[in-house]
Amino acid sequence: MLDLAITLFTLALLALGLRRPYLWVLAYLYIDILAPQKISYRLLAALPISLIAFVLAFAGWALLDDKRDSRFTLRQGLIGVLMLYCGVTTMMADFPVEAADKWAWVWKALIFALFLPLTLRTRLRIESAALVMVLAVGAIIIDGGIKTIAGGGGYGELHLFINDNIGLYEGSIISAVAIAVIPLVLWLMKHSTIFPSDWRVKLFGAALIFACVLIPIGTQARTGLLCIGLLGVLSLRTVKRRFLYITLAVVGALVAVPFLPDSYTKRMSTIENHGSDESASTRVAVWMWTLDYVKDHPFGGGFDAYRGNKLRIELREGQGGQVDVTETFDKARAYHSSYFEMLGEQGWPGLILWLWLMLSGLWQMERIRARWKRRTGPGETWQAPLANALQQSLLIYMAGSLFVGIAYQPFCYMLIGLQCGLWSYLRRIDSPVRPAISAPSRLRLGNAVAAC
Amino acid sequence: MIDYFALALTHGLLVIAFWRLLGRDDLDTESLGPGPGDEAPEETPAAPDPAARFRLPGRVPRA
Repeated sequence: MLDLAITLFTLALLALGLRRPYLWVLAYLYIDILAPQKISYRLLAALPISLIAFVLAFAGWALLDDKRDSRFTLRQGLIGVLMLYCGVTTMMADFPVEAADKWAWVWKALIFALFLPLTLRTRLRIESAALVMVLAVGAIIIDGGIKTIAGGGGYGELHLFINDNIGLYEGSIISAVAIAVIPLVLWLMKHSTIFPSDWRVKLFGAALIFACVLIPIGTQARTGLLCIGLLGVLSLRTVKRRFLYITLAVVGALVAVPFLPDSYTKRMSTIENHGSDESASTRVAVWMWTLDYVKDHPFGGGFDAYRGNKLRIELREGQGGQVDVTETFDKARAYHSSYFEMLGEQGWPGLILWLWLMLSGLWQMERIRARWKRRTGPGETWQAPLANALQQSLLIYMAGSLFVGIAYQPFCYMLIGLQCGLWSYLRRIDSPVRPAISAPSRLRLGNAVAAC
Repeated sequence: MIDYFALALTHGLLVIAFWRLLGRDDLDTESLGPGPGDEAPEETPAAPDPAARFRLPGRVPRA
């Protein structure tokens, strides 16, 4: 039954694109985030549904969409260069077979991030992309949130729709993404035109945010706690009553602690005492290995180069003057950090390109925020809050990236695509030269700008 | 059961969203006025300017 329902929904979505080709772009977002073909393991799994959606989205834009308003931005160029560079390192990878496997999905994420902004040429398209991203990942988050309340959580034990640790269904990744998506939920609650703000929207949004916060508890991923803390600090910038906000946050945390499972508080305490935690000590050992590795391989070892590592890990336990040091050995341990993932796999050029992509996004969103935040006219109040939300989401992703290898996570590149789309759209409508509008057929914004 | 609920709720909202998008002309072609969800302006001009609807947001008309 579920199989049939998911299949019909996905196919109906693709059919709707025949009337509005842009819906194919939204369909790809939905498919790439939720992976319905994994939930429906019979009917839909038999089709290359992700490829079909991508081909339709691209063909719909290339053949049917008005491209006069599409702009190619510097950050899309950076994504393109990063993709080409990754392709080259894949050809010279230390582990060619494994590298080719990873390249098979990474290039799709990068090329879609490059393509998405070209389609985001109206406000409604930007909003609908954000909404579909939130609702698609929201399905996983709501599932995990309810299961956490029902006591189904635990490190590596929270099962989300599919019994597979891939993509967004991996505990640490969904923990970071669930928190990163909260600013977008808040923006949609206030500024959505598809679901205009009313009590139902606010109720659903509040419940979804609660579920987002529950995910790091359910997965017991330490990254999630870091991301929640960062979101709390970032929110100080925009809240109107800071003192009340801080008071409520402290009271909320104090009230919540007794309800947290023992296993969660024990695991979180290892953040402070990481020397005695094997998982944390292994990370430090891998990072040190990576720094050594790039001394000899400054251009990286290609995807999955970590497979070549051999590690000696020291575990320190004890209190006061008595410290017991035990030694263990390990090999082929993953990077557990996007920064070291980029450095080890793509070398210094790859890391610089990736950081440039991230930091330029923060800068662009700051520029938009500064430019639009004081405007109060009709149609001018949604831009600064959206830039702020996308900036916060990216910062949370970058913080989560410190301890999770999500350098190529497609959801994050969708966020970057949204940023590029917003930047390009606002530059176009806010350019200093006014278009000359002379005939009714020229009343459309896109045509008007194209005419300048 | 929880899986069914989470999928039904979010997919129900996606259906409504797609249905509403189908009926929105501003998905593909943008008019220059405020959208349905925009907040009202703080000050309303005394006399409506017919050219204002063709003006881009935030733009000061040239003299």
